[in-house]
Amino acid sequence: MRPAAEAVRIAWSLMTGYRGRFALAIAAMLAGTGLRFLVPLVASGTIDYALESGNGSSRIVQFFERFVEQSWLAQNLWLAGLLMIGLTLFAGIFNFFKGKLAAEAADGIARKLKNRLYSHLQELPMRFHDEAETGDLVQRCTSDVETLRLAINNQVVDVSHALILMGTAIPLMFLLDFHMALASFILIGPIIAFGYFYIKRVRHLFQRFDEAEGKVTSVVQENLTGLRVVRAFRQQDFEIEKFSGPNQEYRDLGLRLISLMAIYWSISDMIALTQNAIVLGLGIYFISAGELTVGTLFAFIMLLNLVLWPVRQMGRTLTELGKSIVAIGRIQDILEQPEEGRTGEVDEPAGAGHIVAENVTFSHNDGQVALQEVSFEVLPGQTLAILGPSGSGKSTLIHLLLRLYDYQSGSLRFDGTEMKDLDRKWARHQFATVMQEPFLFSKSIIENIRIGRPSADEEEISRVAQMAHIHETIDRFPSGYETMVGERGVTLSGGQRQRVALARALLREAPVLLLDDALSAVDTETEEIIIDALKKRHGKMTTLVIAHRLSTLAHADKVIVMDNGRIIQSGTHEELCASDGLYRRLWHIQNKGDDPTPTVATSAPQGT
Amino acid sequence: MHLEEETFHDRLDLKLWGQVLRHAMPYKRMMILLGVAAVAIAVCDASFALVTRWAVDDVTNMEQGFNPLPYVGAYMGLAALLAFGVWAFINLAGGLSHHMSHDIRRATFTRIQELEFAYFDHRPTGWLISRLTSDCDKLSRVIAWSLLDLVWASSLILAISVILLVLNLKLGLIVLGVVPPLVVISSWFQKRLLLSSRKTRKYNSFITAAFSEGIQGLKTTKTFVREKANLKEFQVLSDKMYDYSVLNAIQSAVYLPIVLTIGSVAAGTVLWIGGVDHLAGAVTLGTLIAFIFYAGQFFEPINQIASILVQLQGAQAAGERVLSLLATEPGITDSEHVLKRLEANSNAQGSPGMAPDGYPAQIQRIDFRDVSFSYEDNEPVLEGFSLAVNPGETIALVGASGGGKSTIVNLLARFYEPTKGGIFIDDVEYRERSLEWYQSNLGIVLQSPHLFAGTVLENIRYGRLNASMEEVEQAARMVNAHGFISKLENGYDTSVGEGGNRLSTGQKQLVSFARAILANPQIFIMDEATSSIDTETEALIQKGLHTILRGRISFVIAHRLSTIRSADRILVIDKGKIIEMGSHSELIAAKGHYFALYTRQFRRETEARALDRVGT
Repeated sequence: MRPAAEAVRIAWSLMTGYRGRFALAIAAMLAGTGLRFLVPLVASGTIDYALESGNGSSRIVQFFERFVEQSWLAQNLWLAGLLMIGLTLFAGIFNFFKGKLAAEAADGIARKLKNRLYSHLQELPMRFHDEAETGDLVQRCTSDVETLRLAINNQVVDVSHALILMGTAIPLMFLLDFHMALASFILIGPIIAFGYFYIKRVRHLFQRFDEAEGKVTSVVQENLTGLRVVRAFRQQDFEIEKFSGPNQEYRDLGLRLISLMAIYWSISDMIALTQNAIVLGLGIYFISAGELTVGTLFAFIMLLNLVLWPVRQMGRTLTELGKSIVAIGRIQDILEQPEEGRTGEVDEPAGAGHIVAENVTFSHNDGQVALQEVSFEVLPGQTLAILGPSGSGKSTLIHLLLRLYDYQSGSLRFDGTEMKDLDRKWARHQFATVMQEPFLFSKSIIENIRIGRPSADEEEISRVAQMAHIHETIDRFPSGYETMVGERGVTLSGGQRQRVALARALLREAPVLLLDDALSAVDTETEEIIIDALKKRHGKMTTLVIAHRLSTLAHADKVIVMDNGRIIQSGTHEELCASDGLYRRLWHIQNKGDDPTPTVATSAPQGT
Repeated sequence: MHLEEETFHDRLDLKLWGQVLRHAMPYKRMMILLGVAAVAIAVCDASFALVTRWAVDDVTNMEQGFNPLPYVGAYMGLAALLAFGVWAFINLAGGLSHHMSHDIRRATFTRIQELEFAYFDHRPTGWLISRLTSDCDKLSRVIAWSLLDLVWASSLILAISVILLVLNLKLGLIVLGVVPPLVVISSWFQKRLLLSSRKTRKYNSFITAAFSEGIQGLKTTKTFVREKANLKEFQVLSDKMYDYSVLNAIQSAVYLPIVLTIGSVAAGTVLWIGGVDHLAGAVTLGTLIAFIFYAGQFFEPINQIASILVQLQGAQAAGERVLSLLATEPGITDSEHVLKRLEANSNAQGSPGMAPDGYPAQIQRIDFRDVSFSYEDNEPVLEGFSLAVNPGETIALVGASGGGKSTIVNLLARFYEPTKGGIFIDDVEYRERSLEWYQSNLGIVLQSPHLFAGTVLENIRYGRLNASMEEVEQAARMVNAHGFISKLENGYDTSVGEGGNRLSTGQKQLVSFARAILANPQIFIMDEATSSIDTETEALIQKGLHTILRGRISFVIAHRLSTIRSADRILVIDKGKIIEMGSHSELIAAKGHYFALYTRQFRRETEARALDRVGT
């Protein structure tokens, strides 16, 4: 955890642009509080001066004497009443501005922070995201920001309010009557201390209570996700039994928490009321001794009521502030991460699609080597096919081209320029990609495809959908292209998702098309239709295609076979068919339905 | 994430709350005590100003040797009573709330266990989870706290009103005059406050969803250079949340000053009119002061009542959802006369070889007779499907997805029931048999093996809870799972993690086979059980499969050739009908649909194997 001073410094810098508003909010609060203090003083002065004259003199009475005649005020009591109302109204107007300004500042800061976090997360390198947990990041961006917002909007304001109250009420009360003031503040310290330490003590119980709730949720979740298994084994009774433990624990912790809170509130009430009783008892004693006026006692009781409530809340406020220091640290952890670097200009025209790799080597965060000395060349308009078992480095190659990761040594050139020297965003604009497990956003299908090229019209979209052989499927949905994807709409099958992603990539019109096992979930017949459609584009677009099925690869200008991060074979279809190796074996399986190498133990279909 | 629009009810549905209140009936005594505590607190709250009045009046009619102790004593007595009341109130209300939420949650969970599959078809898991967690909490919180705050607030208003009118009718009416505007303004603002805070929460959940989608789809965002467009869409959400959150703050910033000013109108008028009367000697100073105090005390209880009524309206949707879930009757259960027979047989102790429903416990044959089925008045998935299965026979179902294979198996397992026709166990329709007995005799292995968080042992034992360690091990050996399990860190006591995620898919599938075989089922069902696993695991399962299938009726839905070939009879299913049927060699010889399916799959598997070998 960061020290509190650093958290305050970070919070201060986050408040840039909203500091003035926040200062105004505090000023409005000061004015509002001051005016509210005057209300009991008006009543007090009126009581002593006009109603109970001769009951003694007080500071307020002396103040009144300077402005009005006692008899005149007694005849015009409505003026005192009106003054009370007016002061409350003005205090209210200031308090309105306090509430509005403080909310605008706190919500504005929260909004700015969320936007900044969202943008920052998008610009962070994949290496960061590989190690971060989505749930944790989301929590930092939402609940931690909310904690900070509440700290600014409520806790900082509450603390300032309490400080202002004490800063104004204490001198005021001492001014009114020294002994009474001393008596009024006897128990203030104990109330704050009691609240602070008590809440601190039970805080871990709140945490355990939250955890118990989490446990109930996770049992319910397990039960519902495993519903089919529960039913398959008819274990409903066992499940109910399993649920009742956490359910009871959740209840029992709740009960404990309640009994502790009951003690807290009743003791806190008791102390506050004792403070009132002391003021009342001492007050009437002083009155009987002629040392205090009734009006002053009245003022003391009213002022004490104004001060007590915020003071009682202090314990909770201070512990909440402690939480926000942790939250600020967690937010700052993300903001401190360096973004992906940018170089060059984005607006340069599209390239030709000439790719050269020379001895490219790359290893992951954990030091595992993923690519070793990989070299190849693809000319503009050519198709390069990449074949190899999973984990051989095919996808890594695609990631390097997209500059999602940076290669450590060797040279990777695009149109003759070293890729590291290209602007990342410009480089990414040169590729249209379909990933192995394509991600679709929870938007409509048409919006998902349009991501490929936001300016595309509907005709172009239906054309690429036809090319990806998904148009008819989409048309059959009740809402057609407007169908929502994901939990709020249809659940697409793996093959359908891949085809939507293919349409999205085809719409892009980039110089290079990257297909990373893009049709693995599509059935064989459909795959052939799509391949045929793609062949028509041959020569126009540089294409890199990764696939497991040879049918997808056979029309390539060049094929490389990868294993363990290295290229183990490369050449044209004819060259590879002529030499012994994986490619030839696959070719045999494809065409003759069998594997020429004897190590395969499976028998051929009996019908052939 | 499930984002639903919460409806806001304009009117309070008293019938609904009556029904909800029925769940509080077991705690009737707590409720009564709570009411007493609430009234006691209200009376104390109202009495403090009376003590002050008494003290002020006595001290102004000063006598010699004035003793302040009785007043302090009275004040402290009230304070002690109030503190005790608060202690009791929090304990009782909190206790009631937690007890009720526990009970409702338990009832809901139990009901969910009884409901048939069809209920879950259109209800996402997230939706059901919120019913069981947030809705139950919300309901019980509203019941326990709100209803009793309502008692407290109305008692306080009543007590103060009585005191005011008894002490001084004229001043009392003046102070009470501010109550109607306070009521109107409070309820107007409370409703708007609730709506804007709900909108804020709604946009907050959109923002949470946007963050998590943004992170999950980041690769796509980066490759399509969509950062700016995404940020723009995100800013729309964060702007909306800002608007509603600030609106909420402004609403309360207007609300509080207005009600405080209304309170000061009462206090100011009392000072004026009461002051005039005091000068005329009609009102004591203590009474005047007490009235000024009371004028400020009305706001809190009225504010409470307004806020509670609005909360009740807001929680109505939660109440309706939970009650309707509890009111849903399970669609697949034992019929009345099956229940009667079960009862008759349990009295008769049952003879050996007999199931609890009085029919033979041994399952010989299964007959699908003219079975039709459709999901919730959609197009029929099966129509006039008939199939007779002989003792110990293994049936393989193949064909394109959506053809009806899974439906056949779901009907067989009685997860759904035929809409027409019947399924017969040795000539008795299965709806005539005990549901529990029948389903206890099924062993099912699903495509995606789902394990529960816990140890390997616990997961296998899920098949039969009273199985001994030896039996568990024996089952694991039978499906060739024992080898990998004994190599795990803690053997059978190794924890598998949430959803079994610490094991590979293949390992999870082996465990789920062991779990199914431990149940020693009479009918064995494999629903795509071998399609998502690697070749190595497939080989292990294949070895054990003969032992598993021997002597049981089995239904197998499969892609893998090895699994299909071991069947006695292969059915090619398309559009809910059998289009080909026969043994593997018969169907290959026929060179029809099965032949085409088979050769394509054969090529795929050989290719995959060739690639796998390069990788090693």
